[in-house]
Amino acid sequence: MDAYLIPAVDGVGYGLLLFVVAAGLTLAFGVGDVLNLAHGTLFAFGAYAAAKVSDGTWLSLALAVLVGTAAAAAGGAVLSALLVPLAGRGHLAQALLTFGVALVVGDLLVGLFGPDELPVKVPALLDRPVDIAGHSYPGYRLAFIGVAALIAVVLYVVVARTRVGSLVRATVDDRDMVATLGVNPFMVRTGVLAAGGALAGLAGALGAPIIGPGPRTADLVLMLSLVVVVLGGLGSIGGAFVAAIAVGEIQTIGVTSEVTQDFAPFLLFGAMAVVLSARARGLLTSRRSAA
Amino acid sequence: MQRRSLVSAALAAGLLFAAAGCADSDPKSTSGAAASTLKIGFLGSLTGTYQAVGTDLKSGFELYLATHDNKLGGHPIDLKIADEGDGAPTAVPAATKLIKDDKVVALTGIVGGGSVAAVAPLLAEAKIPLIGSNGRPELKDLSGVWTTSFMSTDTGQSIAQYIKDKVNGPVYAIGPDYQGGYDQVGGFTTEFLKLGGTLVNGKATFTPFPTTTNFLPFFSQIKASNAKAVYTFYAGKAAIDFVKQYAQSDAKDIPLYSAGFLTEGSVLQAQGDAAKNILNVCNYSPDLDNEENRKFVAAWKQKHPDATPTTYAMASYDAAAVLDRAIAAAGENPTPESINAAVGKLGQIPSPRGNWQFGPKTHSPIQKWYLRQVRNDGRALANVMVQDLATVGA
Repeated sequence: MDAYLIPAVDGVGYGLLLFVVAAGLTLAFGVGDVLNLAHGTLFAFGAYAAAKVSDGTWLSLALAVLVGTAAAAAGGAVLSALLVPLAGRGHLAQALLTFGVALVVGDLLVGLFGPDELPVKVPALLDRPVDIAGHSYPGYRLAFIGVAALIAVVLYVVVARTRVGSLVRATVDDRDMVATLGVNPFMVRTGVLAAGGALAGLAGALGAPIIGPGPRTADLVLMLSLVVVVLGGLGSIGGAFVAAIAVGEIQTIGVTSEVTQDFAPFLLFGAMAVVLSARARGLLTSRRSAA
Repeated sequence: MQRRSLVSAALAAGLLFAAAGCADSDPKSTSGAAASTLKIGFLGSLTGTYQAVGTDLKSGFELYLATHDNKLGGHPIDLKIADEGDGAPTAVPAATKLIKDDKVVALTGIVGGGSVAAVAPLLAEAKIPLIGSNGRPELKDLSGVWTTSFMSTDTGQSIAQYIKDKVNGPVYAIGPDYQGGYDQVGGFTTEFLKLGGTLVNGKATFTPFPTTTNFLPFFSQIKASNAKAVYTFYAGKAAIDFVKQYAQSDAKDIPLYSAGFLTEGSVLQAQGDAAKNILNVCNYSPDLDNEENRKFVAAWKQKHPDATPTTYAMASYDAAAVLDRAIAAAGENPTPESINAAVGKLGQIPSPRGNWQFGPKTHSPIQKWYLRQVRNDGRALANVMVQDLATVGA
């Protein structure tokens, strides 16, 4: 059992990373009604910022987080503007547009940063193993778990306890009603896509040492966060949290167990298929439980 | 300033001597008549995932040409370069152009085993020999296929005896679950079991590729298994992830042995100090002490001051050396057929890796493998030669 302690802890870290990314995606869908297939690319913005800006000092790490978050938020806002002509054309048109943007920008990123996956430097204090109950674990990952948990709590408080949060929840419940109350839907969508982008960029900058920047990063992150969003119930932050931790654990404990090893590549999508067939709306449904 | 020009003068003089030395040993430098220009095709990944390897192959071949008057076997060379991309789908049209439009007399390079498998039938049909310098899959028809790198199973096979002698207890073997991983790690486990060694679980563990970027769960398994050593093969980004995570994991105190590609070329700088002390096996080390290697490394440093030559560049340099000798032996008007026949009769080939020759069964080198360790060589992290291992090949 002892051998599973570190993978279990690591699963929480991986899950929290996925949660921060997927929260942005699920917000964009639940509130903005946008299926943003360029979400993984916004994560890559943050990851590349970390690789290029962070040079092992705390200040550069903070700067990288700032740059990555800002760039991804701006990217989200630009997407919102691009989507204006598609009003009323449904999710397929949105998916095609955002996917096209993801392909083009992905190519630009490769042109800009090269085809290799870039290494990321972290402050020396974190770049060493720490002891957890007699087991060694990378210090950065432990710190990441703390920071990501904090982000999750802040996100919960914002959505559940603030005026902006109540607007978000109201929009998830009944978008048209909110619009009739005088809230400009375009502004809501831009705001939520920018906020979703910021979450992706933040996750990218902080998570770059775990899922590093490279040509495949955007696809990997998009795929995993789509799984999380689908499992968690579209638009539900709480559902996304539960699903993200579950996916994180499947990805870590699942791949090492003798029994499940051979099925590891299928575990994730197997879990998704099981949940979808049992509860088509996801683990936690969004109505009245957006938080 | 003065000091610097002195150094460059000395270097230039050294190069001149080296060039003169080559000219002397050049088998056909005596022929007086102006020889015809020959077209050689180079196919390698100049874009995409394997760009680093493809670029090294190109640099290695071009270095040989640059240090040999742009001539192979006395004939001026028109090198036609094409991009292999990520694999067979891009390699085939590129090779077709080299064969049909450029009408090259021989083809070299090719990073991916899949690309070689797809291109080989086209070459066989056109009767053009392939002097490949990297990928080498299982092939049925080897009559026109030669490889200057290695067979994937050779790497692990050559270090099995050393690990058996050094490690007192079970070894954990782990690698990526694609053909290269099966061959590289399988080469080790097959030989190791044959020698009476013990593997954890009795067999190697293969991780899903390329989806596995987090190796920590496996390292926890390794720690729990009480393995006394780990043998592994990864390349590219997976190698960076593996090494960086290993150094901070539960398994960090268990000795790590690997195929040389784990710490070869650009990945080593990215791994940084995490790679220190890793013992790895390769068919080349830049600090090998022989005449050919001193020439090769000096010429390479002249062109690429910031990079150490890799085994990829070395194998491609050797592909040019093979063509040099074969073309010289192929008569006045070398044809693809006569060049191919001449390659088969070459015998020992002097090389930066030490002398080697093509094995009759595999058309790949019978060569010595070396144990290297990642250390700081005074300027940067490097793979430093430790000792000779087995000579492998057939």
